[in-house]
Amino acid sequence: MILHFCRWLQDNFLVSAINGTAWSAAATEIIHYFSMFILVGSTVIVDLRVLGAVGRRQDAKQLADWLFPWIWISLGLNVLSGFVMFAGTAPSYYGNDIFYDKLMIILLAVIVNLVVQQQVPKWNQLPAMPAWAKLLAFVSIMLWIGAIIAGVEVPALTGVG
Amino acid sequence: MDGSLITFGHWLQNREFALAIAGSDWAYPFVQAIHFTGLSLWVGTNLAVDFNLLGFGKKSSEPLQLSKLLLIWNWIGFGIAVTGGLLLFSVSAETYLTNIAFLTKLGLLIPLGLVCHIVIQRNAPAWEKLSEVPMLAKVAGFADLLLWLSVATAAVLIPYVG
Repeated sequence: MILHFCRWLQDNFLVSAINGTAWSAAATEIIHYFSMFILVGSTVIVDLRVLGAVGRRQDAKQLADWLFPWIWISLGLNVLSGFVMFAGTAPSYYGNDIFYDKLMIILLAVIVNLVVQQQVPKWNQLPAMPAWAKLLAFVSIMLWIGAIIAGVEVPALTGVG
Repeated sequence: MDGSLITFGHWLQNREFALAIAGSDWAYPFVQAIHFTGLSLWVGTNLAVDFNLLGFGKKSSEPLQLSKLLLIWNWIGFGIAVTGGLLLFSVSAETYLTNIAFLTKLGLLIPLGLVCHIVIQRNAPAWEKLSEVPMLAKVAGFADLLLWLSVATAAVLIPYVG
Protein backbone atom coordinates (compact mmCIF):
# COMPACT_ATOMS: atom_id res chain seq x y z
CA MET A 1 0.00 0.00 0.00
CA ILE A 2 2.74 2.45 1.01
CA LEU A 3 4.87 1.36 -1.93
CA HIS A 4 1.88 1.88 -4.19
CA PHE A 5 1.49 5.40 -2.81
CA CYS A 6 5.23 6.04 -3.34
CA ARG A 7 4.91 5.05 -7.01
CA TRP A 8 1.86 7.24 -7.43
CA LEU A 9 3.71 10.13 -5.79
CA GLN A 10 6.74 9.76 -8.04
CA ASP A 11 4.50 9.87 -11.12
CA ASN A 12 2.53 12.88 -9.90
CA PHE A 13 2.79 15.58 -12.56
CA LEU A 14 3.91 18.32 -10.16
CA VAL A 15 6.57 16.15 -8.52
CA SER A 16 7.98 14.95 -11.83
CA ALA A 17 7.88 18.49 -13.24
CA ILE A 18 9.91 19.92 -10.33
CA ASN A 19 12.42 17.08 -10.15
CA GLY A 20 12.64 16.64 -13.91
CA THR A 21 13.93 20.15 -14.61
CA ALA A 22 17.48 20.99 -13.54
CA TRP A 23 16.80 24.51 -12.31
CA SER A 24 13.78 23.63 -10.16
CA ALA A 25 15.48 20.52 -8.77
CA ALA A 26 18.50 22.68 -7.84
CA ALA A 27 16.24 25.38 -6.34
CA THR A 28 14.54 22.72 -4.19
CA GLU A 29 17.93 21.52 -2.93
CA ILE A 30 19.05 25.10 -2.16
CA ILE A 31 15.87 25.72 -0.15
CA HIS A 32 16.38 22.42 1.68
CA TYR A 33 19.98 23.18 2.71
CA PHE A 34 19.49 26.86 3.50
CA SER A 35 16.36 26.31 5.58
CA MET A 36 18.19 23.54 7.43
CA PHE A 37 20.98 25.95 8.36
CA ILE A 38 18.46 28.46 9.74
CA LEU A 39 16.46 25.74 11.49
CA VAL A 40 19.43 24.06 13.18
CA GLY A 41 21.32 27.31 13.79
CA SER A 42 18.37 29.06 15.47
CA THR A 43 17.54 25.99 17.55
CA VAL A 44 21.13 25.65 18.72
CA ILE A 45 21.23 29.35 19.74
CA VAL A 46 18.24 28.77 22.04
CA ASP A 47 19.79 25.53 23.35
CA LEU A 48 23.13 27.24 24.03
CA ARG A 49 21.33 30.00 25.94
CA VAL A 50 19.59 27.39 28.10
CA LEU A 51 22.96 25.69 28.65
CA GLY A 52 24.42 29.04 29.72
CA ALA A 53 26.93 29.06 26.86
CA VAL A 54 25.45 32.17 25.21
CA GLY A 55 24.91 35.55 26.88
CA ARG A 56 23.66 34.79 30.39
CA ARG A 57 22.65 38.43 30.64
CA GLN A 58 20.43 38.09 27.59
CA ASP A 59 16.86 37.36 28.66
CA ALA A 60 16.18 33.76 27.58
CA LYS A 61 12.49 34.33 26.96
CA GLN A 62 13.08 37.36 24.73
CA LEU A 63 15.65 35.40 22.69
CA ALA A 64 13.44 32.31 22.38
CA ASP A 65 10.34 34.38 21.52
CA TRP A 66 12.25 36.00 18.68
CA LEU A 67 13.94 32.84 17.37
CA PHE A 68 11.11 30.30 17.52
CA PRO A 69 9.12 31.83 14.63
CA TRP A 70 12.28 31.43 12.49
CA ILE A 71 12.61 27.85 13.70
CA TRP A 72 9.05 26.97 12.66
CA ILE A 73 9.17 28.86 9.34
CA SER A 74 12.45 27.19 8.37
CA LEU A 75 11.14 23.79 9.52
CA GLY A 76 8.14 24.30 7.23
CA LEU A 77 10.35 25.16 4.24
CA ASN A 78 12.69 22.30 5.09
CA VAL A 79 9.91 19.70 5.30
CA LEU A 80 8.26 20.99 2.13
CA SER A 81 11.46 20.96 0.04
CA GLY A 82 12.50 17.65 1.62
CA PHE A 83 9.15 16.14 0.69
CA VAL A 84 9.55 17.22 -2.94
CA MET A 85 13.05 15.67 -3.05
CA PHE A 86 11.73 12.48 -1.46
CA ALA A 87 8.72 12.31 -3.77
CA GLY A 88 10.92 12.46 -6.87
CA THR A 89 12.24 8.95 -6.16
CA ALA A 90 9.76 7.93 -3.47
CA PRO A 91 9.78 4.15 -4.13
CA SER A 92 13.55 3.99 -3.57
CA TYR A 93 13.07 5.32 -0.03
CA TYR A 94 10.65 2.49 0.73
CA GLY A 95 12.31 0.09 3.18
CA ASN A 96 15.30 2.46 3.52
CA ASP A 97 16.12 2.06 7.23
CA ILE A 98 18.52 4.98 7.54
CA PHE A 99 15.91 7.28 5.97
CA TYR A 100 13.34 6.05 8.51
CA ASP A 101 15.92 6.73 11.26
CA LYS A 102 16.41 10.26 9.93
CA LEU A 103 12.67 10.97 10.03
CA MET A 104 12.41 9.53 13.54
CA ILE A 105 15.33 11.63 14.82
CA ILE A 106 13.79 14.77 13.31
CA LEU A 107 10.43 13.96 14.87
CA LEU A 108 12.07 13.59 18.31
CA ALA A 109 14.07 16.80 17.79
CA VAL A 110 10.90 18.73 16.91
CA ILE A 111 9.14 17.38 20.02
CA VAL A 112 12.10 18.55 22.14
CA ASN A 113 11.92 21.98 20.43
CA LEU A 114 8.23 22.24 21.32
CA VAL A 115 8.92 21.39 24.97
CA VAL A 116 11.77 23.92 25.13
CA GLN A 117 9.58 26.62 23.55
CA GLN A 118 6.84 25.91 26.02
CA GLN A 119 9.10 25.78 29.08
CA VAL A 120 11.51 28.68 28.46
CA PRO A 121 9.23 31.32 30.04
CA LYS A 122 9.08 29.23 33.25
CA TRP A 123 12.82 28.47 33.31
CA ASN A 124 13.52 32.15 32.67
CA GLN A 125 11.91 33.12 35.99
CA LEU A 126 14.08 30.77 38.02
CA PRO A 127 17.40 31.96 39.47
CA ALA A 128 19.22 29.35 37.36
CA MET A 129 18.32 27.02 34.51
CA PRO A 130 17.23 23.68 36.02
CA ALA A 131 19.36 20.62 35.31
CA TRP A 132 16.65 18.95 33.23
CA ALA A 133 16.39 22.07 31.07
CA LYS A 134 20.10 21.85 30.34
CA LEU A 135 19.81 18.14 29.67
CA LEU A 136 16.97 18.79 27.24
CA ALA A 137 18.94 21.53 25.47
CA PHE A 138 21.92 19.17 25.16
CA VAL A 139 19.69 16.39 23.82
CA SER A 140 18.25 18.86 21.30
CA ILE A 141 21.72 19.74 19.95
CA MET A 142 22.65 16.04 19.75
CA LEU A 143 19.40 15.17 17.95
CA TRP A 144 19.88 17.86 15.30
CA ILE A 145 23.49 16.79 14.71
CA GLY A 146 22.14 13.24 14.55
CA ALA A 147 19.59 14.33 11.94
CA ILE A 148 22.41 15.82 9.83
CA ILE A 149 24.49 12.64 10.16
CA ALA A 150 21.50 10.44 9.24
CA GLY A 151 20.79 12.81 6.35
CA VAL A 152 24.22 12.39 4.79
CA GLU A 153 24.22 8.65 5.50
CA VAL A 154 21.09 8.11 3.38
CA PRO A 155 22.92 8.60 0.04
CA ALA A 156 26.22 7.28 1.45
CA LEU A 157 24.85 3.92 2.64
CA THR A 158 22.00 3.36 0.22
CA GLY A 159 22.88 5.39 -2.87
CA VAL A 160 19.44 7.01 -2.71
CA GLY A 161 18.95 10.76 -2.92
CA MET B 1 42.74 26.68 -15.88
CA ASP B 2 46.13 27.45 -14.43
CA GLY B 3 48.34 24.38 -14.56
CA SER B 4 49.88 24.93 -11.14
CA LEU B 5 46.42 24.86 -9.50
CA ILE B 6 45.75 21.50 -11.11
CA THR B 7 49.15 20.24 -9.99
CA PHE B 8 48.32 21.37 -6.46
CA GLY B 9 44.92 19.65 -6.62
CA HIS B 10 46.54 16.46 -7.85
CA TRP B 11 49.13 16.60 -5.06
CA LEU B 12 46.50 17.33 -2.39
CA GLN B 13 44.09 14.56 -3.30
CA ASN B 14 46.94 12.03 -3.19
CA ARG B 15 47.87 12.88 0.39
CA GLU B 16 47.38 10.01 2.79
CA PHE B 17 44.52 11.67 4.73
CA ALA B 18 42.65 12.52 1.53
CA LEU B 19 43.02 8.98 0.21
CA ALA B 20 41.93 7.63 3.60
CA ILE B 21 38.70 9.70 3.55
CA ALA B 22 37.99 8.75 -0.06
CA GLY B 23 38.63 5.07 0.60
CA SER B 24 36.52 4.73 3.74
CA ASP B 25 32.81 3.94 3.84
CA TRP B 26 32.05 6.04 6.88
CA ALA B 27 34.59 8.89 6.74
CA TYR B 28 33.25 10.81 3.76
CA PRO B 29 29.65 11.23 5.01
CA PHE B 30 31.03 11.96 8.47
CA VAL B 31 33.11 14.81 7.05
CA GLN B 32 30.03 16.04 5.14
CA ALA B 33 28.13 16.07 8.44
CA ILE B 34 30.92 18.14 10.04
CA HIS B 35 30.69 20.64 7.16
CA PHE B 36 26.88 20.93 7.45
CA THR B 37 26.92 21.18 11.25
CA GLY B 38 29.44 24.02 11.10
CA LEU B 39 27.41 25.72 8.38
CA SER B 40 24.24 25.52 10.45
CA LEU B 41 26.00 27.38 13.25
CA TRP B 42 27.70 29.87 10.92
CA VAL B 43 24.74 30.65 8.65
CA GLY B 44 22.21 30.42 11.49
CA THR B 45 24.04 32.97 13.67
CA ASN B 46 24.81 35.22 10.65
CA LEU B 47 21.20 35.36 9.57
CA ALA B 48 19.90 35.93 13.09
CA VAL B 49 21.96 39.14 13.16
CA ASP B 50 20.89 40.08 9.59
CA PHE B 51 17.19 39.47 10.23
CA ASN B 52 17.40 41.48 13.44
CA LEU B 53 18.99 44.44 11.59
CA LEU B 54 16.39 44.16 8.86
CA GLY B 55 13.62 44.27 11.44
CA PHE B 56 12.27 40.91 10.25
CA GLY B 57 10.35 38.83 12.72
CA LYS B 58 8.57 39.40 15.94
CA LYS B 59 8.95 42.80 17.55
CA SER B 60 10.67 42.71 20.91
CA SER B 61 9.89 45.21 23.63
CA GLU B 62 13.60 45.92 23.98
CA PRO B 63 16.00 45.87 21.01
CA LEU B 64 17.86 42.56 20.71
CA GLN B 65 21.64 42.83 20.67
CA LEU B 66 22.66 39.67 18.91
CA SER B 67 25.96 40.42 17.23
CA LYS B 68 28.20 40.37 20.31
CA LEU B 69 26.10 37.65 21.90
CA LEU B 70 26.62 35.26 19.02
CA LEU B 71 30.15 36.31 18.02
CA ILE B 72 32.03 33.35 19.53
CA TRP B 73 29.62 30.69 18.30
CA ASN B 74 29.49 32.39 14.93
CA TRP B 75 33.25 31.91 14.43
CA ILE B 76 33.25 28.45 16.02
CA GLY B 77 30.70 27.52 13.35
CA PHE B 78 32.93 29.04 10.68
CA GLY B 79 35.93 27.06 11.93
CA ILE B 80 33.97 23.78 11.90
CA ALA B 81 32.56 24.50 8.43
CA VAL B 82 36.00 25.35 6.99
CA THR B 83 37.58 22.26 8.55
CA GLY B 84 34.92 20.01 7.05
CA GLY B 85 35.05 21.94 3.77
CA LEU B 86 38.84 21.60 3.40
CA LEU B 87 38.62 17.86 4.00
CA LEU B 88 35.79 17.47 1.46
CA PHE B 89 37.77 19.55 -1.02
CA SER B 90 40.95 17.53 -0.57
CA VAL B 91 39.18 14.28 -1.50
CA SER B 92 38.72 15.39 -5.11
CA ALA B 93 40.63 18.66 -5.31
CA GLU B 94 41.47 18.34 -8.98
CA THR B 95 37.82 18.06 -9.99
CA TYR B 96 36.78 20.97 -7.78
CA LEU B 97 39.51 23.20 -9.18
CA THR B 98 38.11 22.79 -12.68
CA ASN B 99 34.48 23.32 -11.61
CA ILE B 100 33.18 26.81 -12.38
CA ALA B 101 30.55 26.73 -9.61
CA PHE B 102 33.17 25.77 -7.03
CA LEU B 103 35.64 28.41 -8.25
CA THR B 104 32.93 31.10 -8.15
CA LYS B 105 31.93 29.99 -4.67
CA LEU B 106 35.43 29.99 -3.24
CA GLY B 107 37.07 32.75 -5.28
CA LEU B 108 34.26 35.31 -5.36
CA LEU B 109 31.19 34.65 -3.22
CA ILE B 110 32.81 33.52 0.04
CA PRO B 111 35.34 36.41 0.09
CA LEU B 112 32.53 38.91 -0.60
CA GLY B 113 30.35 37.29 2.05
CA LEU B 114 33.16 37.43 4.58
CA VAL B 115 33.88 41.12 3.89
CA CYS B 116 30.19 41.95 4.25
CA HIS B 117 29.95 39.84 7.40
CA ILE B 118 32.96 41.51 9.04
CA VAL B 119 31.64 44.99 8.19
CA ILE B 120 28.37 44.05 9.89
CA GLN B 121 30.10 42.51 12.88
CA ARG B 122 32.14 45.68 13.44
CA ASN B 123 29.16 47.99 13.24
CA ALA B 124 26.24 45.92 14.51
CA PRO B 125 26.81 46.57 18.24
CA ALA B 126 26.30 50.30 17.56
CA TRP B 127 23.44 49.79 15.07
CA GLU B 128 21.58 47.42 17.38
CA LYS B 129 21.44 50.03 20.15
CA LEU B 130 19.61 52.56 18.00
CA SER B 131 15.85 52.66 18.20
CA GLU B 132 15.75 53.04 14.40
CA VAL B 133 18.24 50.86 12.51
CA PRO B 134 19.96 52.98 9.81
CA MET B 135 19.30 52.24 6.12
CA LEU B 136 22.96 51.32 5.61
CA ALA B 137 22.65 48.57 8.23
CA LYS B 138 19.59 47.16 6.49
CA VAL B 139 21.34 47.20 3.12
CA ALA B 140 24.35 45.42 4.66
CA GLY B 141 22.11 42.85 6.35
CA PHE B 142 20.24 42.18 3.12
CA ALA B 143 23.49 41.93 1.11
CA ASP B 144 24.84 39.43 3.66
CA LEU B 145 21.68 37.33 3.39
CA LEU B 146 21.90 37.32 -0.43
CA LEU B 147 25.62 36.57 -0.46
CA TRP B 148 25.36 33.50 1.79
CA LEU B 149 22.32 32.33 -0.15
CA SER B 150 24.41 32.64 -3.32
CA VAL B 151 27.23 30.65 -1.66
CA ALA B 152 24.73 27.84 -0.96
CA THR B 153 23.43 28.15 -4.54
CA ALA B 154 26.92 27.82 -6.02
CA ALA B 155 27.59 24.82 -3.76
CA VAL B 156 24.42 23.02 -4.85
CA LEU B 157 25.26 23.75 -8.51
CA ILE B 158 28.71 22.10 -8.31
CA PRO B 159 27.47 18.65 -9.43
CA TYR B 160 25.06 20.23 -11.96
CA VAL B 161 27.80 22.04 -13.90
CA GLY B 162 30.54 19.44 -13.34
